Amino acid sequence: MDEVRMVRDSYPEPAPPTAREIARAKALLNDPPRRSRPRLLWGLGGVVAAGAATAVALTVVGGNTPAPPRPSGPVHLDDRALVLAAAEKAEQQPTGKYWHEDRIDGQSYIMRPKTGTYAITGATTESFAWWGAKRGMGEGYYGRDLPAHPSTARDAALWRKAGSPSRFRVWSSDHYYTYTAKAQKWQLDGPNRGTNPRGGGEFLGGVSAKDLPNLPTDKTKLAEMFMGDEEMKKLTGPKFADKGVTSRLKLMRVSALLSAPVSSQVRAGLMRALADQPGIHSIGQDTDPLDRRGVALASDDRTTTVTGEFGEPKAERGTYRSRTVIIFDQRTGALLSVQDEVTKPGGPYAEMRPGFIINYIAERSSGWTDTKPTPPAALPFH
Amino acid sequence: MTGDPPPHPAESFDEVFDAYFAEIHRYAAKRLGPDAAADVAAQAFLEAFRQRHRYDPERAGVRTWLYGIATKVLGRHQRTETRALRARARLGPGRGAEEHTERVDARVSAEGLRGELAGAIAALPRGQRDVLLLVALADLSHNEVAAALGISYGTVGSRLNRARTTLRKALGGTNPMLTLEEQHG
Repeated sequence: MDEVRMVRDSYPEPAPPTAREIARAKALLNDPPRRSRPRLLWGLGGVVAAGAATAVALTVVGGNTPAPPRPSGPVHLDDRALVLAAAEKAEQQPTGKYWHEDRIDGQSYIMRPKTGTYAITGATTESFAWWGAKRGMGEGYYGRDLPAHPSTARDAALWRKAGSPSRFRVWSSDHYYTYTAKAQKWQLDGPNRGTNPRGGGEFLGGVSAKDLPNLPTDKTKLAEMFMGDEEMKKLTGPKFADKGVTSRLKLMRVSALLSAPVSSQVRAGLMRALADQPGIHSIGQDTDPLDRRGVALASDDRTTTVTGEFGEPKAERGTYRSRTVIIFDQRTGALLSVQDEVTKPGGPYAEMRPGFIINYIAERSSGWTDTKPTPPAALPFH
Repeated sequence: MTGDPPPHPAESFDEVFDAYFAEIHRYAAKRLGPDAAADVAAQAFLEAFRQRHRYDPERAGVRTWLYGIATKVLGRHQRTETRALRARARLGPGRGAEEHTERVDARVSAEGLRGELAGAIAALPRGQRDVLLLVALADLSHNEVAAALGISYGTVGSRLNRARTTLRKALGGTNPMLTLEEQHG
């Protein structure tokens, strides 16, 4: 018996794919926004994958409190009015030949030195993508790993107290991992990276150049089109089709659409439509990981319990509550960030405050240019 | 694979999907478990669909091409794979994986992945693991693995040898048959 056969024999025979799984995979191919779909999925990945990971690694104990606690920060106007005002201010963007979007995603981890517990942002990357206005003008996807860093000014103070380490050994799902404060150059290789000279004309959120002028601006029609029950079921499958997941998914869906060059009227309509959805609440002002303030909508919050089943150390175990938040620029109506925030500290985040950002996707910039866009050299932090 | 020539992805992707989806799903399910498999298989076919015009029949068969794409997509799920392997490694020798997770289909072989073997596979560098599992689980030849991963024939051989040596050591390396085989190269 050789090792190859031993390996072969030692893997159990899995169940074949279900009819639903096959249909879902096929539906992905048949959807018209073909090129942008993976990016959309990637955007949604945060939600769907987080849901899947949760099912495996954690015990989820429901959610759906009608009035989740609000993060600190003054609220001057009626919360909902704020979001709607931002929607109105979504100004007409000038158009150009190339659309680009620069986004940053990151995940928080907890450092627990004797000098005081603080949070770092690790597993953080920046993705820069551009699309020609028309098919055949090309499209490109760049990415780079960003340095791990203390998450907030308060964390930075505690980090300095701990001797300003440049390596961070933290618990990550089911193992310890060391993140470093090293930056990477922009990469064009790897999954979801590279250029396609024949691409273009299709954008994030599954909209093509042809769709753009035909999108409705009416919030009811937009809600039907992008947040309808059928649409949501297609994305989640029945396994995740509870109300909490659906509202988070709608939020991600809108964020993907807002990353595309949709008109100001559509932008405003989408924000209004989202604000109307069940399970979505206006929460006033909030701050994103790039320290930008804006007005925010949030999903119901949900309870997560880390049981220690996957070897989590004691300090990581316990129960916390969190919600998904989308933040808009109050002046322009632009999308700033989608982030998961702690509403009731506990478990791994026991020493953090309400509003603590667990993970995020923030839009650093987006817009039209007449020349082919290139990613910015400057790092977004520091 | 006999009979009609395989469909060309650029012309009839639906046929490619119908012919190979279950097989690619099986490969993903073996490596990642049933939950991630559907997503990975779907992503692999989406990726393939996007690249269908770039498919070159001179370089590789459709099946090989798809395994290459699936392996790349799988690469984004390293943690899931490592977690699945570690979970089995913790069970120790001789216990079925299905005892650990009720999601595994009831029809799985009673044996499951032996603990030490799982641990050793989990510890392999990704390049070696991909080569080993394409040979062991997908039954690809060295030539096909080279085409699927875009590496040279020689690299396939050396990665496979290194992987086998590691596994052998992990399993105690006491089987005289294995030693003999090593001598024959």
